[in-house]
This record gives sequence, structure tokens and C-alpha cells, in this order.
Amino acid sequence: MEDGNFLTDDFLRQLINVGEVDILVGLPTHNNAKTVGAIVHTIRTGILRSFPRERAVIINADGGSRDGTPDLITGISIDDVRPDSSVYALRTLHAISTRYASTPHSGVALRTILAAAELLRAKACIVISPESESITPEWISSLLRPVYYDGFDLVSPTYRRHKFDGLLMTNLLYPMVRALYGVRIREAYMPEFGFSGRLGSQFLGQNRWNDGSGENGIELRLTLAAVTGGFRICQSFLGEKDHVERRAADLVPTLRQSVGVLFSALDSDFPVWSSVSGSQEVPTTGSDMELLLDPLRINRKRLRDMFVSGVSELESVFQSILSPSTLAELKRIAGLREEEFRYPAELWVRTVYEFAAAYQKSVINRDHVIQALAPLFRGRVFTFVVENRNESARDVAKNIEGLCLEFERLKPYLLDMWKSKE
Amino acid sequence: MLPNLHTDCELASSGSFKLRFETVLPTIWSVARRKQLNSNKDALWYKDAIIYQVHVRTFHDSNGDGIGDFLGLEQKLDYLQELGVSAIWLMPFFPSPLRDDGYDIADYDSVHPSYGTLEDFRKVLESAHQRGIRVIIEMVLNHTSDQHPWFQEARSSRDSPRRDWYVWSDTDTLYKDARIIFLDTEKSNWAWDPTSKSFYWHRFFSHQPDLNYDNPAVREQMWNVMKFWLEMGVDGFRLDAVPYLVEREATNCENLPETHNILRELRRRLDVHFPGRMLLAEANQWPADLRPYFGDSDEFHMAFHFPLMPRMFMGLKLEDRKPITEILQQTPEIPPSCQWSLFLRNHDELTLEMVTDIERDYMYDMYAQDKTMRLNLGIRRRLAPLLNNDRRRIELMNGMLMSLPGTPVIYYGDEIAMGDNISLGDRNGVRTPMQWTGGWNAGFSTAEPEKLYAPLIHDPVYGYPAVNVAAQRESEHSLFHWMRRIIAVRKSSAVFGRGSIEFLYPANHRILAYLRRLGSESVLIVNNLSSAAQAVELDLRRYKGNVLIEMFGNNLFPRVGELPYLLTLGPYQSYWFRLRRV
Repeated sequence: MEDGNFLTDDFLRQLINVGEVDILVGLPTHNNAKTVGAIVHTIRTGILRSFPRERAVIINADGGSRDGTPDLITGISIDDVRPDSSVYALRTLHAISTRYASTPHSGVALRTILAAAELLRAKACIVISPESESITPEWISSLLRPVYYDGFDLVSPTYRRHKFDGLLMTNLLYPMVRALYGVRIREAYMPEFGFSGRLGSQFLGQNRWNDGSGENGIELRLTLAAVTGGFRICQSFLGEKDHVERRAADLVPTLRQSVGVLFSALDSDFPVWSSVSGSQEVPTTGSDMELLLDPLRINRKRLRDMFVSGVSELESVFQSILSPSTLAELKRIAGLREEEFRYPAELWVRTVYEFAAAYQKSVINRDHVIQALAPLFRGRVFTFVVENRNESARDVAKNIEGLCLEFERLKPYLLDMWKSKE
Repeated sequence: MLPNLHTDCELASSGSFKLRFETVLPTIWSVARRKQLNSNKDALWYKDAIIYQVHVRTFHDSNGDGIGDFLGLEQKLDYLQELGVSAIWLMPFFPSPLRDDGYDIADYDSVHPSYGTLEDFRKVLESAHQRGIRVIIEMVLNHTSDQHPWFQEARSSRDSPRRDWYVWSDTDTLYKDARIIFLDTEKSNWAWDPTSKSFYWHRFFSHQPDLNYDNPAVREQMWNVMKFWLEMGVDGFRLDAVPYLVEREATNCENLPETHNILRELRRRLDVHFPGRMLLAEANQWPADLRPYFGDSDEFHMAFHFPLMPRMFMGLKLEDRKPITEILQQTPEIPPSCQWSLFLRNHDELTLEMVTDIERDYMYDMYAQDKTMRLNLGIRRRLAPLLNNDRRRIELMNGMLMSLPGTPVIYYGDEIAMGDNISLGDRNGVRTPMQWTGGWNAGFSTAEPEKLYAPLIHDPVYGYPAVNVAAQRESEHSLFHWMRRIIAVRKSSAVFGRGSIEFLYPANHRILAYLRRLGSESVLIVNNLSSAAQAVELDLRRYKGNVLIEMFGNNLFPRVGELPYLLTLGPYQSYWFRLRRV
């Protein structure tokens, strides 16, 4: 798509009709008809309840839905063409939709939303996941108010999650971003978030869109751009987040979108993260983490088996990525019986840092580096689950904090590897 | 119609009516003028009218006592004719203790001595009619002043023959479902009368006891009052506070069927004895509740559209047409001979009774952040200060006033963007002397300034040296001349007063566009409610082949085709187009 004509003429016409807004809600979708109806009603309620006077728009960036998703969204517009006596609103609320492509791509979707926000000069924006069935009207306020009223540029969410939900976040992304960038952002790879027009415009202008590489893991890129750009960041507690079942096959794409983006950002961000020591809290409204403890069935045997087979089958790959001592230790624990198996925090942190350095050095194809991390992550998940299965929320939080400190303690190890490259 | 002397004598003999034979001849003369006026226009004259609301006290002082009077008003009728108004609505000018600016009447058959004499009033009437200007006067039916002899007599004894002319009770617990209208001053609709040791009913101030319309003598007397003025030649009445005439237990005492019965009887008598005269209702109600006041063309000819007015201000501030189109969508059809009366500002506060709580809070925050600007449930400000003296917004609002369905009412001084004085109490801040010149007392009076009934506006922006008629007459581009032009354009076509309305709903919500149609004539109005330039696409396909003729400059715009008609409008800009197939 030509950069100069990134938005279609039809979408542009809709934006002209919307005009300047105070509040913009972005909703990227693809075949979300089952959930999106309730979600947009909740969004609308949240806007009317918390921002009844503000000029607001809901922007749907759709990746080629064939189930009528865009119609469900545009149908909740509040206007005088189809008056709805069941809804009271001071002013018009536009809900508009554009199909940015025939296949979904979260990066293109967010780029579309960012471009619309810039054109409409939106002061405060949020992006909501079309799968967030647990959304409440308060989410809208929680994500927008810090931007609109308090001058923050990025509002990252915190949730009440099951202790075994979001394990990539708790075991890798959160501790690594915290250790390297020095900010304790629980959900750096955000399903929902709020941002200022200022941050959105800067990110839109600076991100690498033309070759498509800048569109992967876009949410994490935005977080890192806010951190490295010195923007004001805060967190808002939203409440319970749905547990979403993921297939095993989803892990590698997720790693690409998250860990891959983080690893690749480390190069350009080196001047920033190399000079950071320790970490700071970010202002947080409500709790920064709440954990649910109810039983959750996890196939631990399968996790361990995948770890063991991965270590065995990918040994030649690991030889390129990992230090001999780390690889030896991994091989050792792979030989342990299930009840003895532990993937300790220090070994996990060394593994991750060595992968980051290998990614940077491109010792092998970078995508292969990311793929190779998948079985090891499963091993770490096995250990996390075993170590925390009977723990209280407080103890689980303590264990996560321990892992974070390990990432911070071993940061010089990563720096050494990075510098040795040079 | 000649005065019916027989009826007058009957009234005189009843003791309730002061017949003055010396006034009969001028009355005949006035009535003859009226007949001439009626012969020029049809009975629906009020649909095409441009009404100018004026208080005699505020307009011009002819005798140098500091108070405006009838002869002063007469001297300024040329000005009103030049502006283009076709009717004046005079606020109460009756003898009164003036505790509510004349809405507390102490004598219905005379004029307040400060304003002159009945003879002076007749002169105004005749001079106005000579200029083709009709005269509508205020009539307060619901209540009198507590100084009115009727009330004095009624309270004097429980056995007084007038006792039943008012609503009395031994307790203050009746009619509890009736709301209190003047919340800032009144705690109850009942007031204690220490003289007769009972409570009397009042929907407004406690010094304004409500008349008892269940009493046939009261109904008859009030018709006699109206007849007195109709025979003198007035063209219509603005009937004040009409929803409250009758009280019934377990109701809110508003809009009751018995009230409508009384109003229908007044209308019937008016049509029989004074055809061509007009009744205008002041009923601050929701449109659906207002509709019955038109009846089947057998109650009021006109009624103020109260809910529209705040929504015009709201739509402007929100830059969104939704409040305006919504309330007009909710406005029921009215009989063909009836008409809405539209206004932007008047002598009262900008009433926010007919809005929701959210809307009221918004209006207060946007238009009256200074709490001294708030009064009762409203905002006591004039048009220009409400709009920050922004000429573009003043024009836009007046443009909508002139082009939406209804008869526009202009509040005196708003045609030159007069300001207000919120340091004056109650609603007196919007009732300051008319600013005629930049000279002594703004040309209002030759009295010493301290003798003026109210201080002049002196501030640098709205003060009379800056804002006055003389200066604006001299400037071709003044608001006064712009108002003259828009009034002239409105009067150039009956479509504005009598045509239908159809809203276009362009996707750009900041554009309020509508078609006014009457017979083969169609006019397109496009208003930009936004402070920024806007583009809008209008679906005018059914007018394919027509050209648009801009009505102020008579310039041609491109012919309508199949594609959406694209217009661009500057901030707060309006277009009025005549559609013409050529």
C-alpha cells in the first residue's frame, strides 16, 4: 500500500464527517461478530457515562471480516438519522469502520487507528481488544482519564488474572522490560491501552512502516517508544481479564510478536537500556496485579515433554545460541524425572539473555532463534506452574518479583555479551 | 369592528369595568385602522410576522423622568419599521407595584402612570398600525398582584364577595404534587395571609395570588378585561403562565383539561367578536404537552417553543446539530392555522426547565460559569454576552431563528448586540435602557443618570458608547443592518412562515441543513455550527437540474446533479438558497 494513500478515500470521507474529536476508541477486528456487539455497547456506555460532553468516535479497523462485524459496530452510532430513544446522549457519537485489508494484521490495524487519531486530532485514544468479553464501562474511563485529564501519554492496563494466565508476560516480557528499560510495566504487550494524541503522532511518524517490519508486535513497540521517548506512562487496573485458551501452535507466532520485537528493539534502544540500572514503579491507579487462584487444568506432562524433545532435537541450534554452560545445564535438567524437574530462575534468565544476544548477532536466522525459544519457555512454564500451584497470590507475586530481580541482577551479563559483539 | 356599546354598558353597570365615554371616539378611529390592516393581510398574519419584544419602560423616555413611556415608544416606531418588524409585543404596562416587573398587575384596565396614559397607549396603537405594525400586549390571566383591589377585598374577610376569586385553604397541604417554579425565592406554593388567617395559592411569587378559575365570575371578568383591550384595537395577547389556571388534587396542577376548557372558551369568544386577533401562549412545557394548547385550532394561534431555544445554544456549543434536530423531531404537528413562536432571548432567564439534568449542567458550565449569572433554573444573560459577542455566532443563531419553522421574536436591543448587567438583581440585568446613541444616557432619556429606572450598560465592550443604534445605522456592515437584511430576506418568501420543513441529515453532524417548502417554492438552509470550516455533501438528487440561488446576494451556485452536492462553509457560516429549475 502506498504510504501517501494509506487510508482509503471512503474512510477519509467518513473521517471528514467525524471531524476533530477529543476521544477516540480504536477497535481492531476480524470476524468478531460473536463478541463485538456486546463490547461496542459497553464502549458506548463507558463514553456516555464518563465523557458525555466530549467529542468521541469509535473507529473500527477491520481485517476482512466476513461475519458482519463492521455492521455491528457502525450500528451503534448515536445520531439524529436513526434516533434511538433508549440511549441518551448529549451529542453525536460516530462509529465508523474501514476495511484495511482482506486479511487481518494487528500492525496495519493499529496504524490505521493511529492515522485516524492524528487526522482527527484526538486528544486521548484507547485501543480495545475485540476479544475482551470481560470489558466493563469503567475500563473506558480507566484508560482514558489519565490521558485526558492527567496528561499521561500511555496508559498500560493491569488486570485481575489467573495466576497461570499471561505466563509469557510474567516470566519474560515484564521482568526483561523492567530490568532493561527500568520501568515496571506489567503489561508491556498490551491487549488494551490508552495513549495521547502526542504519543500516537510521534509513533506514527517514527515507526518503520514502509517495509512492514514495524507492524509486528505493534503494541509492544508503542510501549517501548513511550519509554525511550520519555513520555509519561502510568498503569490503570481494569479488573478481571478473560482467560483465553491458546493452542500450542499459537506460541511461536506470539513469541515472534512479543519476544522477537523486544529483542529487535534492543539494538536501536541500546543507548537507553544500557545506561539504566535498577527499575522504577510507574504511577498506578488501583492494583498493579491481582491474581486468581481457582484451579486451572494445565497439561504439565506435555509441557515437560516438549521441553525435553526440544532440547534434544534442537541441540545443534542451541549450540549456536547458548553458552556451553547454559546448554549443558539445560541438557542436565532435561534428563531429570518429572517430579525432580526444575528450570530455575537464574538459568532461565541466562537463557533469555543469551537468546537476546544471539538474536542481535544473528548467529542464525533471527526467526529461528525465536522459534528455538519455544520449547525452553515451555520448560520454564512447567517449573512456574509446579512452584506456584499451591501458593497464595502473595507468594506467587513474590516469586514473580524474585524472577524480576534475577533479570535485573543478571543485566550486566547481557551487557557483557552485547559489548563483546562490538 | 365597532365597539359594542351595549356590552360596554352592561359591563359598566356590573361595576367591574371602567367605561370611559371620552375614549370611545379614538377607539373607533383605531378600530378603523385595524380594519384597514386586516384588509391588507389575511387572518394568518402572525405566521409571517417578525415580532419585536419590548418593555415600554426600557425603550425610550419622552418626558425626562428616567422611565421609558408610551410616547417615547411612539417616537421610535420609525426605527422598528426600518428594522422590518411587523409586530411589537409589549410587556406588562398596567398599574402594578412592580415587584415582578409588571407581571404583578394591580389594575387591568389602565396603564401604569410612569408609562403615560391610556390615551398615550392609543397613540402608540394607532401609530403602529399606520406603519403596518401590529401590537400584541401581555395579559397575565393566572394571577394578580396582592395589591389588586380584588385581592385586597378577598382577603379582607372570609365572607367577602370577592373571597372566592382566589384560591384559599386552611392548610398548606393541598396540591402537593405541584412543583415550585421560583425555586430560588419560594418554599411553597401556599402563602399565609395573616389578615384572613388562611393560606392562599400562588404558583409564582407569594405576592402574586392565583385567581380562582373555577369561579365563573372570574372567567367572565377576565374575558371582559381582554375585551377592553381588543376593542381598543390590540392585535393579540401574549397570555402569561397559561398552564396553571386550574388546580386539582393529585395532579401537578399544570395543563389540566379544565384549563384547556377555559382557554377554548376565551378563543371562541375571540373568534366570534374579534376575528383576526391572535392568542400567543406562554407555556414553558415539553412539545407534547404544548400541543394541546393549539387544540383543534380552537385554543391558541401560537405558542412559544421553549425547549428549542436552549437546544439551539447547546447545539452551537457542542458544534452538533443533534440537540436541535432531536427536539424538532419530538415536536408534534400542529394545526395548519397554528404557529410556533421562536426566540433566542427574552426578558426572562434562558430557561433550562425543559432540558435534562445533564444538559442543564452542560449549559451552566458553558454559558454561566459565574454562578451569579444563574437564576432559578436558567441563565439571566442577553444574546450577545452568551455568545461572547461573536458576530458570526450571533448571525448564525439569528439565521436559524429566522429560518426554522415558526414566527421569530426579537428581544429589544439584541438587534444591536446589547449587553447585560449581571450585577443587577433578578432579571433586571437584561432589562436595561435601550442604547440609542453614544451621547447622554445613551439617548434613552434626558433625565439625570441617577434617575434612570436602571443603570445603563457602561462596560467597554457592551457599553452604550460602543453599542448603540446611531452608530450601527451609520455602519453598513453593522449587526443592525445585517438584521434588517435577514428580516427582509425572510419576508421575501412566505415559505419561512408557512412552509414545511424537512431535515437533511448529512453525515457531517456539525451541519444543520433543512429544506423549507411551500407549494412550488423550495428553500435550502445550510448552517455550520462549528467554529472551523467544514465540508458537507448534501443529497439533493431529487432536485436534480435545479440551480441554487443564494438569497442574500442572488448569486447562482452550480446546478444539482446526481452526485452529492458538495458545499464548503466557513466557521459558523450559513447559506440560504432558493432552488430554481432553469
